[in-house]
Amino acid sequence: MVIAATGEPDILLPPVSEFATTRDVTEPIFLKLADLGLSGNTVGDEDFQPQLAQRWEWDAPTTLVFHLDPRAHWQDGQAVTAADVAFTYDVYTDTVVNSPFRSSLRHIAAVTTRDSLTVVFRFRQRYPEMFYDAVYHMRIMPAHLLRELPRDQWRSTPFGRAPVGDGPYRFVAWKAGQSIELAADSTFFLGRPHIRRLIFRFTPDQQVAVIQLLAGDADVIEVLITPDNVERACADAKLACYPYKGSAYGYVGFNLAAPGDSTKPHPLFGDRDLRRALVLATDRERPLHNVFGDLARVPPGPMSQLWWVWDPEIRELPYDSAQAARLLTRLGWIDSDGDGIRDKDGRELSFRLLVPTTSAIRRQYARLLQEEFRTAGVDVQLDEVDFTLFNERARAGRFDALLTTWNTDPTPSSGFPQIWTKAGFGRSNYGRYFNPQVDQLVDRAVTSAMNRDQARRAWRSAFEILNQDAPGIFLFATENVAAVNKRFTDVTIRPDSWMALVRTWRVPPDRLTDRDRVER
Amino acid sequence: MIAWVVRRVAASVAIIWAVVTLTFFVIHAARGSPFLPEQSQSVSPETLDRLRRQFGLDRSLPEQYVLYLRNLARGELGESFVLRRPVADALADAMPHTFFLALAALLIDFTAGLALGIYQAVRERSVGDVVLGNVALFVNSMPTFWLGLVLLLGFAQWLHWFPTGGPSDPVLCPRVDSLPCLLDFFWHLTLPALTLGLVGAAGTARFQRAAMLEVIRQEYVRTARAKGLREGRVLLVHALRNALLPFITLVGLAFPFLLTGAVLVETVYSWPGMGLLAVRAILQRDYYVVTGAALVTSAMVVLGSLIADLLYAVADPRIRVRGA
Repeated sequence: MVIAATGEPDILLPPVSEFATTRDVTEPIFLKLADLGLSGNTVGDEDFQPQLAQRWEWDAPTTLVFHLDPRAHWQDGQAVTAADVAFTYDVYTDTVVNSPFRSSLRHIAAVTTRDSLTVVFRFRQRYPEMFYDAVYHMRIMPAHLLRELPRDQWRSTPFGRAPVGDGPYRFVAWKAGQSIELAADSTFFLGRPHIRRLIFRFTPDQQVAVIQLLAGDADVIEVLITPDNVERACADAKLACYPYKGSAYGYVGFNLAAPGDSTKPHPLFGDRDLRRALVLATDRERPLHNVFGDLARVPPGPMSQLWWVWDPEIRELPYDSAQAARLLTRLGWIDSDGDGIRDKDGRELSFRLLVPTTSAIRRQYARLLQEEFRTAGVDVQLDEVDFTLFNERARAGRFDALLTTWNTDPTPSSGFPQIWTKAGFGRSNYGRYFNPQVDQLVDRAVTSAMNRDQARRAWRSAFEILNQDAPGIFLFATENVAAVNKRFTDVTIRPDSWMALVRTWRVPPDRLTDRDRVER
Repeated sequence: MIAWVVRRVAASVAIIWAVVTLTFFVIHAARGSPFLPEQSQSVSPETLDRLRRQFGLDRSLPEQYVLYLRNLARGELGESFVLRRPVADALADAMPHTFFLALAALLIDFTAGLALGIYQAVRERSVGDVVLGNVALFVNSMPTFWLGLVLLLGFAQWLHWFPTGGPSDPVLCPRVDSLPCLLDFFWHLTLPALTLGLVGAAGTARFQRAAMLEVIRQEYVRTARAKGLREGRVLLVHALRNALLPFITLVGLAFPFLLTGAVLVETVYSWPGMGLLAVRAILQRDYYVVTGAALVTSAMVVLGSLIADLLYAVADPRIRVRGA
């Protein structure tokens, strides 16, 4: 199966990479203790599926015991043991390795071994997503192959270009800039996967990737992105389309602090009412339809469709241009010189919107929003810069407003606090939004709610307060469509990680082509 | 002749050093951090500081430059921030692809360009000359990227005559280790090379036509005809050799064109060459890859120019005598 991929991994070592393509390629190579079920429920442990762990039990409210499957083994023949799990936890939490997932493991106090097949997780406190934290972020690493590797060399170790895993597929070859090939491991302890070879074929351009798919040079594409691509691919007789929830959301984020000086409020966006007026003035449905067609929804706050807290009933500011105009006038912003732009004390209501040139979607959105704001008497100048500069300016707070997107985990617990609470200052909370009430509610939802309903209520309240504060205009939450050649059947896509269930995909014998039969 | 070659080589080294130095300072002056790629959303400020220290970016720019030159003298090009591997390895993977692409394009460029130019000169002002002249002008004015997409859509997606990209079929030929896989490589090379080569050929044809027209009006060509020589011999032996001198100049000029054109063609055809590597590195501020790519590219261009000069000397005895 040839997968048209638009990015190439940096290294095939899950603890030190957060590239989406690294996740896709390593998904079938390295297993977790257990994995998320199709329901996407991250609270409790009932919806999780065993992987390396055959079973688990709670010894105490904060003590979780995993029993490893004795059949599990590394592709070099060594058994997977509890020591591998303890070693993996040590690596993920090591400050020198500095894994991007380290903060997600902060509630785990220790991981110890009881015997060669039993491993014990001790948590600092009880909270709803303890099990999720224990299993979702870590892919177990082979201690016998990596223990001697100095921790400061993990980011560029040769093992990361030719890994030995314990999953259904083994690494075969990595041709830089071209492809990575995996082959089905016939000795995989949960049964040999049906598809013999997975080949990730890299292409630098999304359109070219779609052409490869339509020409039959690739079998699968993870996401078609634009309505045009969806129309073309889904109309093709040899392809089947699979829609699934997207993990991204995008928004215009206001900088609440003065650009480059976080001690002072922003001259415009430090004013909550002005921010509210701008949200009220924005018809979010129109640009969404223009850019995405049916491939996205307006989110009821800063959230992806993947999150279980998604609820269209969450209260938010409506589109009401009349109310927006009244509010702006009340704040003293009126068009005194008749040039179509509101002004106050000799200053025009004008700001700059930071947009990365690498995202065609965001550039398109920026232009549509510019037009919408103009009709409301607000002048928006676009600062289009390449992504590294966009990222640097965002982090340094050198912007008025920015158009950004986030790819999220299946739960708000890890990403949301980094972006919308004080914990994210100097990190991903670029606009320095802070409301102690929101922080408190998020903390309650993440750490002290006792069940899913309590957590949901806390999240809902947090979103509603945040929406009223209007730290941004929440524009879109994506819906993905994958395209797969019709000779593949039993295709199931888990929205948070589309390759997670590739082991169960198959090609019926009567549809096998010569290419499918090639062994490695 | 040896003194001339030594002088040229010394000048070439100086040119390469200048290009590397300029690239080093320009890429470092560009705003944006090398450790914030698009796919990476949560790099902490502490990690950024640590990476800057690890790669020596916390030192002053002159210090970094001196260190870079010192490493370069030892044959070390540094390590890629993004690819997490030595730059030399990344360049070694990419270079053969660009080399073969440029070579194939050059072959198409000069073969087609030369043939067309001669044909047009011989049939001056005929319908064929006018039609071919206009077609050449049309192709020559097409942006390489656009021509690539047109060929890709037409010959790969719709007609299925050629593959859509990459240097080989990843299923049947993961390695070029057999005759069928060698043929597969050439099959994959065809469209990218045609895209690059056709645009060049159109320019070469116009150049060659003018050169041939000038030569075939010379006295010695008329004399050759008067001696009763066959027209083919008159054109290919007597006229073409003299008309080739400006053509050889084109060899030197074509190299930079092919390498810059390759950047776009490599993107369209997912061809894993130097252009694609350099563009990605520039966007990601992968300093050492950018500088390494500039080093190799400038070396290739300088070498191309040197070869052209040597060929010129071989083709024109007057130059050889003067050079010696």
